[in-house]
Amino acid sequence: MKQPEYQRRPDAAPKVTGALKYLTDRFEENMLIGKVLRSEYPHARIKKIDTSAAEALPGIHAVLTHHDVPGLNRFGIVTPDQPVFCEDRVRYTGDAVAAVAAESAEAADQALAAVIVEYEPLPVLDSVEKALDPEAELLHEAGNILHEAYYTRGNLQEGFAGCTSIVEETYQLPRQMHGYMETEGGVVVPEKDGGISVYMATQHGFKDRFQLSRILDAPEEKIRIISSPIGGSFGGKDELNLQPYGALLALKAGLPVRVHNTREESVRAGLKRHPMAITMRTGADENGRVLAHETTIYADTGAYATLGPAILEFAVEHASGLYPIPNIATTGVSVFTNNGVAGEFRGFGGNQVTFALEGQMDRLAERLGMEGAELRAKNMRKPSDAGPLGQEIAPTDGGRMILEDVTAWQQLPLSNAGETPWVKNGRGGAVSMHGGGLGYGRLDPSGGRLALTKEGKLEAAFGFEECGQGIAAVIETVMKDTFSCHEEDIEITIGDTNKVPVSGSTTASRGTGMVWTAVENMKDSFRRQLLAEASRVTATAAADLYLGAGGVHKIGTEPSLFLSYKALAEYVQEGDIETHTAFDFPVTPDEIDSGHYLYSFGGVSAEVEVNLLTGTVRVLDLKQSVSAGPVMYPQGYRGQIEGGGIMALGYTLMEDAVMDEGRYQTENFDTYLMPGVKDLPDNVTVKPREEVMEGDIHGPRGVGEIGTIAVAPAIAEAIYQAIGARPHKLPVSREWVLQQIQQRGLLPWNKPEKIPGG
Amino acid sequence: MEQTRKDSRGIERRQGKYACTFHVNGEEVSIEASPMDRVVDLLRDRMHETGTKISCGIGRCGACSIWLDGRLTSSCLLLAYQVEGKEVTTIEGIGTEERCSIVQEAFMNEGGFQCGYCTPGMIMATESLLRHTPDPDDEQIREGLSGNICRCTGYSGIIRAVRAASVNLQ
Ligand code: FES
Ligand code: FES
Repeated sequence: MKQPEYQRRPDAAPKVTGALKYLTDRFEENMLIGKVLRSEYPHARIKKIDTSAAEALPGIHAVLTHHDVPGLNRFGIVTPDQPVFCEDRVRYTGDAVAAVAAESAEAADQALAAVIVEYEPLPVLDSVEKALDPEAELLHEAGNILHEAYYTRGNLQEGFAGCTSIVEETYQLPRQMHGYMETEGGVVVPEKDGGISVYMATQHGFKDRFQLSRILDAPEEKIRIISSPIGGSFGGKDELNLQPYGALLALKAGLPVRVHNTREESVRAGLKRHPMAITMRTGADENGRVLAHETTIYADTGAYATLGPAILEFAVEHASGLYPIPNIATTGVSVFTNNGVAGEFRGFGGNQVTFALEGQMDRLAERLGMEGAELRAKNMRKPSDAGPLGQEIAPTDGGRMILEDVTAWQQLPLSNAGETPWVKNGRGGAVSMHGGGLGYGRLDPSGGRLALTKEGKLEAAFGFEECGQGIAAVIETVMKDTFSCHEEDIEITIGDTNKVPVSGSTTASRGTGMVWTAVENMKDSFRRQLLAEASRVTATAAADLYLGAGGVHKIGTEPSLFLSYKALAEYVQEGDIETHTAFDFPVTPDEIDSGHYLYSFGGVSAEVEVNLLTGTVRVLDLKQSVSAGPVMYPQGYRGQIEGGGIMALGYTLMEDAVMDEGRYQTENFDTYLMPGVKDLPDNVTVKPREEVMEGDIHGPRGVGEIGTIAVAPAIAEAIYQAIGARPHKLPVSREWVLQQIQQRGLLPWNKPEKIPGG
Repeated sequence: MEQTRKDSRGIERRQGKYACTFHVNGEEVSIEASPMDRVVDLLRDRMHETGTKISCGIGRCGACSIWLDGRLTSSCLLLAYQVEGKEVTTIEGIGTEERCSIVQEAFMNEGGFQCGYCTPGMIMATESLLRHTPDPDDEQIREGLSGNICRCTGYSGIIRAVRAASVNLQ
């Protein structure tokens, strides 16, 4: 049998055999089924809630409304503005009004149906325009604007005055759904000490604990969050979802409660990627130096805040991307509406704004009579240039490296050189830059713990979650590389607030880098402790000992294994050999709010074929060049970029959680289309560019997001190269493509129409 | 005992329970069920065989894939009365952590999974494909897996796994 190219992930066998218990697979004796009643209306006043009939039904153990929340009846990672249970008003169809716990799912359904809620519908603010109308009803006390963010430098007017070519476009970005295959849910168990154990997915266990403590009015120590393994998240399970309902029901009923969203419930209540309308005006002089860049972003953030402000700020920061343009003015406005809640999603606002920025670069290049790659090269940042907000960042040559690859790939021949007359091919390229960590001014602590356990394992403990990205494989690899140990020597402890140190959130492409840094910080002390203890118990000079597979080895003996970790553990007490580290994610020294310090870079080349008869766009080739520091776990790295690329292909060509008057029209995977295996390009390439600047001490940057950013603009440019029409709205619909084909007379039987405005 | 009631969507449901008897991975089981219970729920909630997953519930994602008398099927669309007397094969019947099948080995080696939630279904589909088409070409692989969605891997690792499994099986 062929030898595996890579080390297997530690979670491999349990996953491929179905033996792994996800949190939604959990079963407890006497477990009840919990369900949540969500609003019937996108916007309404609640006149009355009557639960008496529901309570009277057989098999019902708890029926809860806003009256039953002991603490703060709100949640939200930064701003708690979302009601756990609505009191007098609902703002989207995912708003919760009541919840029940019953002995069976059927009984729970019946009880939900028996809860009487009287609503008085209000006008539905289902667009940014409607919400910003001065006459519009205010969705929140402070108004319908969640957040505004600005960045300016130079003088825009003077900048444009020096430009010979100026392009302007408004880009429209859809409401993408995370589409994690495991919907939200899990089990909450009331414990004997009055506390609870919450077995539910999240990307930051300690944050859930904090939020739940506020809701339950219970001390954090009484709340244990067990949050791994997770069947996919992509940002979507970062905010609380079903945890408050599971917890409140379990405490009320005094029994374990399982809650698990159906797909329809998940679509209705869950986060999505922010739909944005982005207008950009960009100008260059006759040599192709981009001098001025003006951006206005309107984001539809839905009914509640979650991380909407941070996402907007991220978009504003990345609006000029890898190009140190001298004159910039960027305005971002995030607006409350009655549409579903938009929030954290892989890429965090960078995807939207990069589609627009790279679209501008291609439009400008054409206006200047240049290749897109040439214009990008002329304006590409230098290794020591400041970051996009003018802040000091870790020097990096990533932008140039990935552009070099994309430029070379653009020269590859097309795979259909006219053999099939009704199929047109085109290739496009785009580049991106993406900040890691939460940014300046935001608490972003991390840390970890190494210990020798009683059983003789090297325990590596981190407060990160395994949501498929492979953090466990990263931990294993870093441990093996650092201590020359065997995977059997390692015990990985993650995803349990009772057992792990504070490491910060499993978001923002930060996990891999934080694990690496933590182990770097701890390795000397941990090694010293192990060797000193081994030296003591064996009365051997520490200088003759070293760490290796299985335990402590001795120089010059054969076999070299001298004292196994298991044997060593017998001489010491638990906790005797243990080391901790706590530090912050590196931030820019400049006091520029939300500015990042470490960036990764991604370059994409895409070839598409457009069928002129059907309007179908098929991606044939997707190549990604990634600069994110050294690769820790090659299979995981490749998988993140391949998977991110296809998720972004979906964003570009098919995915949109359509809403009409505040109601989802796409309620499940029959109408919300995500890429299937047939959409996979014939060729997918991932090329890591691992080189970092001399003296760089930051190690790996993490690649959870970068593979999703520049795909859309590359495909859009490829479509343009194929049919001569530039998409500015995603997803690129077949109707739009066919219309463009018709207008341009690309089929012999229709003559070109006059193209309005073009 | 037979009675009817309306479910949350207002559809009349017959509520009588009966002893539903079928085989799961070669073993006979008899379980009190209503004829209209979904097989995925019987497996997961009643028998605690949670290797079979639930994701869309409408037959679009393949997370719940099982075999019914050897044929690949979505267990979320299968009702108790339809399996009466039949043979159901789930991921638990394919291999164990100690003894993985060649297909499972290939998924582990080639990065055919990340979060792993689609993986049991994906493996049921792959095993089925390779039993009928031991040496599939790219088109046949894509056809064979077209009922299964994976949100994490972007399918490249899965295709590598299917190819490797096909070679290793010969
Ligand atoms: S859960 Fe059965 S096909 Fe999706
Ligand atoms: S591995 Fe997560 S959905 Fe396929």
